[in-house]
Amino acid sequence: MNEFPLTFSVLALAHGLLITIIVTIGASLVAVALGLIAGLIRVSSLWPLRWLAVAYIEFFRGTSLLVQVYLLFFVLPFFGVALSPWAVAIFGIGMNYSAYLAEVVRAAIQAVDRGQYEASIALNFPRLTMMRRIVAPQAIRSMLPPSGNLLIELLKSTSLVFFITITEFTTASKLAADATGNYLLFFAVALFGYYFLARALITPLVRGLERRLSSGFVREALA
Amino acid sequence: MNEPMLRFENAAKGDEGLTVLDKPDTACNDKVMNEPMVRFENVTKRYGSLTVLDELNLDIARNEKVCIIGPSGSGKTTVLRMLMTLEQIQGGVIWVDGEPLTHMQENGQMVPANDRHLRRVRSKIGMVFQHFNLFPHMTALQNCMEAPVSVLGLPKKEAEARASELLDMVGLGDKRNHFPIQLSGGQKQRVAIARALAMRPKVMLFDEVTSALDPELIGEVLNVIRKLGAEHDLTMLMVTHQMGFAKEFSDRVCFFYGGKIVEQGPPDQLLGNPQNERTRQFLSAVLEAR
Repeated sequence: MNEFPLTFSVLALAHGLLITIIVTIGASLVAVALGLIAGLIRVSSLWPLRWLAVAYIEFFRGTSLLVQVYLLFFVLPFFGVALSPWAVAIFGIGMNYSAYLAEVVRAAIQAVDRGQYEASIALNFPRLTMMRRIVAPQAIRSMLPPSGNLLIELLKSTSLVFFITITEFTTASKLAADATGNYLLFFAVALFGYYFLARALITPLVRGLERRLSSGFVREALA
Repeated sequence: MNEPMLRFENAAKGDEGLTVLDKPDTACNDKVMNEPMVRFENVTKRYGSLTVLDELNLDIARNEKVCIIGPSGSGKTTVLRMLMTLEQIQGGVIWVDGEPLTHMQENGQMVPANDRHLRRVRSKIGMVFQHFNLFPHMTALQNCMEAPVSVLGLPKKEAEARASELLDMVGLGDKRNHFPIQLSGGQKQRVAIARALAMRPKVMLFDEVTSALDPELIGEVLNVIRKLGAEHDLTMLMVTHQMGFAKEFSDRVCFFYGGKIVEQGPPDQLLGNPQNERTRQFLSAVLEAR
């Protein structure tokens, strides 16, 4: 095997990995922020707001992520809005996943026991205080496992940014494999690379939050 | 039209006492004392086409202890839930402490209450639920402190002192830092009672508070309620299946059947010598089950 392509490929791979991490973190922040907002609006008591959230969720969840990214990248410029590939990557993927997260948020809020709402009314909580102090702490706990799933999905979807000119981890692996002819090695690196990324970035975060918010719920509290 | 407001101002003075619960309010004149604490006036509750309560009229005097009994589906729990504003009513007016709860007076007209009015009048009422409804993510102490701090705006120190005192009163001073999952049913219910009292209500509602408990834990909860009734000025309204307790504790027992009060009276009379056929049937069925 030629030395030059190998060194070059490893460097390109590291660069691709970094880009995947950046896009994942950026898109995750967008997804969580917009997902919380859309999910909260989705359970609002005002129906026009609720409808707005439903429309948002249905559009981003119901249509293809790649097409959404294409629209942002290739069609928006016709309307005078030219976004950089980075902005498209982070906001495109982020908005798409925020729609799924909004449904997770809604389900978690609605799964909080009715009795908790009734006790809050009996104690005369204003609605916002009730959401903040009583409902949210319990809902966030049950949001965490499905949110962890979605963030891992999001990580793996970032390879789509290849189509808008960004050379991320999967693309770099493919290029390295093509350049060196060592397909087994580089696809194995790509395969396990995503696993280790998920394991290093997302799982500890979700587990840590779960542990922090678990007081009063898990059996360990009995000890 | 001015008079109800005047009466409310008098009654409100009682809220500022330093003790855990309201002591007798000397500022009240006889007229206020004679006025019912809670009044249901032609109150109707419907779920769709099903009428659960049909033009209910019921007055509860200050410091009166009233037990509500009746078969399931008779509307007895609904009475408490309407008073706690957990259910909307379709007709009539509920009065609390001389003020309309479900309505407010505007230019001499009765209009449906807005949120602000609802919250002000509702602050006089506390409720304890069948299934406790403690906040699972908070300790016993935090459960009792949360509403005084975030609803009444009490400083944390003061709220903690109040909560500790109440937990001591219900015999759970040593469990203050336990989470609900670490408590037995009876202990949870006693925390729930302390939590409701921390808001210093004038009226306490107990909705089948012992029905979800193992038999051997019922006594500890009833003892707390007994103590409350004996030591504090509280109007109590209680839906219960504990006939023995109703007999010994209450000033009056109301028997509900089919959304109406079929019979009411002093416990000895209603439970010992019921006049109505429905009441007799119900009581004999309940007693047979023991």
